[in-house]
Amino acid sequence: MRARVRTLAFLLTAVPLGAVGVLVLIAGWTLTVLLAITPAVVPVLLGFRAVLGSLARAEASLANTLIGTSVRPPVTAAGGRNFWRRGYSVLWDPAFWRQQLYVLLRVLVGWTLAVLEVSLLATALGATAMPIYYRWSHPEIANGWPVDTLPRALLCVPAGVVLLFVGIWLLRPLRTLFRGLATRLLGDDRVAAMTPAEARARRLHALELHAGFFGLLNALLIVIWALTSRGYFWPVWTLLALGLPLAIHAWVVLVRERPQVARRQRVPRALGYYEGVALSVSLFLVLVWAVTGRGYFWPVWPILGFAIGLAAQAFVVVVRRVRRGEERIETLETSRAGAVDLQESELRRIERDLHDGAQARLVDVGMSLGLAEQKLRTDPGAAQELLAEARRGTHEALEELRDLARGIHPPMLTDRGLDAAVRSLVDRSPLDVHVDVELDGRPTPAVESAAYFVVAEAVANASKHAGANRLDIRIRPLDGADAIEVEVEDDGHGGADESGRGITGLRQRAQALDGTLAVSSPEGGPTVVRAVLPCAS
Amino acid sequence: MRVVIAEDLALLRDGLTRLLRDNGFDVVAAVRDGEALVHAVLLDEPDVAIVDIRLPPTFRDEGLRAALTVRERRPGTAVLVVSQYVEQEYAAELLADGRGGVGYLLKDRIMDVDDFVDAVRRVADGGTALDPDVVAQLFSRQQAEGPLERLTPREREVLSLMAEGRSNAAIARQLVLTVGAVEKHVASILAKLRLPRSQDDHRRVLAVLTYLQGN
Repeated sequence: MRARVRTLAFLLTAVPLGAVGVLVLIAGWTLTVLLAITPAVVPVLLGFRAVLGSLARAEASLANTLIGTSVRPPVTAAGGRNFWRRGYSVLWDPAFWRQQLYVLLRVLVGWTLAVLEVSLLATALGATAMPIYYRWSHPEIANGWPVDTLPRALLCVPAGVVLLFVGIWLLRPLRTLFRGLATRLLGDDRVAAMTPAEARARRLHALELHAGFFGLLNALLIVIWALTSRGYFWPVWTLLALGLPLAIHAWVVLVRERPQVARRQRVPRALGYYEGVALSVSLFLVLVWAVTGRGYFWPVWPILGFAIGLAAQAFVVVVRRVRRGEERIETLETSRAGAVDLQESELRRIERDLHDGAQARLVDVGMSLGLAEQKLRTDPGAAQELLAEARRGTHEALEELRDLARGIHPPMLTDRGLDAAVRSLVDRSPLDVHVDVELDGRPTPAVESAAYFVVAEAVANASKHAGANRLDIRIRPLDGADAIEVEVEDDGHGGADESGRGITGLRQRAQALDGTLAVSSPEGGPTVVRAVLPCAS
Repeated sequence: MRVVIAEDLALLRDGLTRLLRDNGFDVVAAVRDGEALVHAVLLDEPDVAIVDIRLPPTFRDEGLRAALTVRERRPGTAVLVVSQYVEQEYAAELLADGRGGVGYLLKDRIMDVDDFVDAVRRVADGGTALDPDVVAQLFSRQQAEGPLERLTPREREVLSLMAEGRSNAAIARQLVLTVGAVEKHVASILAKLRLPRSQDDHRRVLAVLTYLQGN
């Protein structure tokens, strides 16, 4: 019974708190929209969220005390890298929107249900107490059925008792309803813990619910209008008032879930949202103007405001795009220069290796053969010795050429692709290596080769410098991007020199493919080399 | 002994043909790609096919695939695959069917003519010839504190030669030992590694390789 009394109290608090909430929402949004393109919008949004947050906390403690929930509204710190983002980050905060929805529901649903419940209980009490006061008031329950005698008044008592029980019983489902609302809208964001697909399905579902609620409520009001006066078509106001949030909601979901909508117009997402909101609000204002007598066309002013805002944003977008293009050209120039340098130094290294290695060995082989030729007749024993030496020299020259060829492009990479080449590489390493390659199909040869050499360099460094025993190699597609991620982690003592020749070469190699290479190697280890290589050509 | 050669470079094809003819082999066909190899094997029924791994048209592991096809289409054909580089994985694929008559050598080994000719004969007779580099790779993957550590240096040498597929007599020649001494070493190795004794050289190779790969 106590729980029911508390639930009733909770229902009644909807009246003052709902009024406060509506005031906060109206003030917040009016200021935001009015100042939308001025810097003042940032403190307004931050203040709006702060006030809404306190209201949500008050609502939460009320719900915790009266209907037994245990919710704690999340406290979000202002994020964002710069002044503007700090303000706009409020709009990306799901808690901000959920709190607004709670306040709105507290008014729309809360007030209605509170009024219905209180009237029901009052009627029930009135009917139960009928025998006491029928003498003075003679209430007329139905046409031609005034309660003016004791038997009639007594007949009302059972009806009153039944109604009273119904009213008290109803408090239970009402409590459940508001508990659900408070937990879902004021508590922790459960959407954040969902997978992207689940969250997406949920957002679409929320839009369906919103549209369904809009349709049902308006259908109901139109039916009521049709059954009653049929005079002035007042449901137009709820249609308009509820249609505006629905239109904005639908647009936001559309732009978010179907990025191609924004992409087709070659505008960033934020501008896409702005366009939708401006369009919806303009349409709303024009409709309001049309409904209210079509005098002076006042919506021209806010529409002009939106148009200016839109133009300003579009200008910013164009400027930013041009600047980004310039930065991109600069990056490309640097990476191309790096690639050319890299190629140049690689060629020089190969030339030096050939000169000092295989070429020198072949000269030596030639000399042995010449000497053997001389001694063939005079000293066949010595000649045989020299010939054997020449054969060994040839073998060594071949070995050096083989290593050199492997360093230019490992045969296994050509033959069987990245997975097999990496496994062949680690087969030659004395370390305990774990290889995990998850690729569907083969990347382009340039990407395969870069990925291979990232692994090769990391493996070589791990055994040469880091004193590692164990290596983990992971190669897999990067989520949501047409790129692969190569990660090599060792258990060595860290402290790798990032500006060393090997790492610099790899970085240039990655940059030439428009990729990135990062090395994390704190003193004491572990060293992690991570490369991201885009696959699109 | 009838031999078919598959090698795309004319220089090496002719050199190999001359070398084998000089050593008393009957080179019945010398072809330049995998498809021609399969044809030649089915037509000329050689005792052994010597195949370069890198062949047209892809210049990848075409030769290896052709060698495997040959062994599938005409079981019992011995195949010796030669290459400029050796890969453990390819060795494993060649040995996978468990039948003898398989070889996998670096092209360098051809220069050591006596040894190479010996390897060709061994493979043609159903034995094994595995390149020392592959064996060395297998050894390098062994943990420092395995049963292999309990072998003496001489026993490790013997084990390497066993893995290459050599007979006790060949091992004795190579290490300048008596056959009796080699037999004693082999018995000691098999006991230390808990491997079964076997008279069949090829089966012995498989046991040793399985042991080396398994650790």
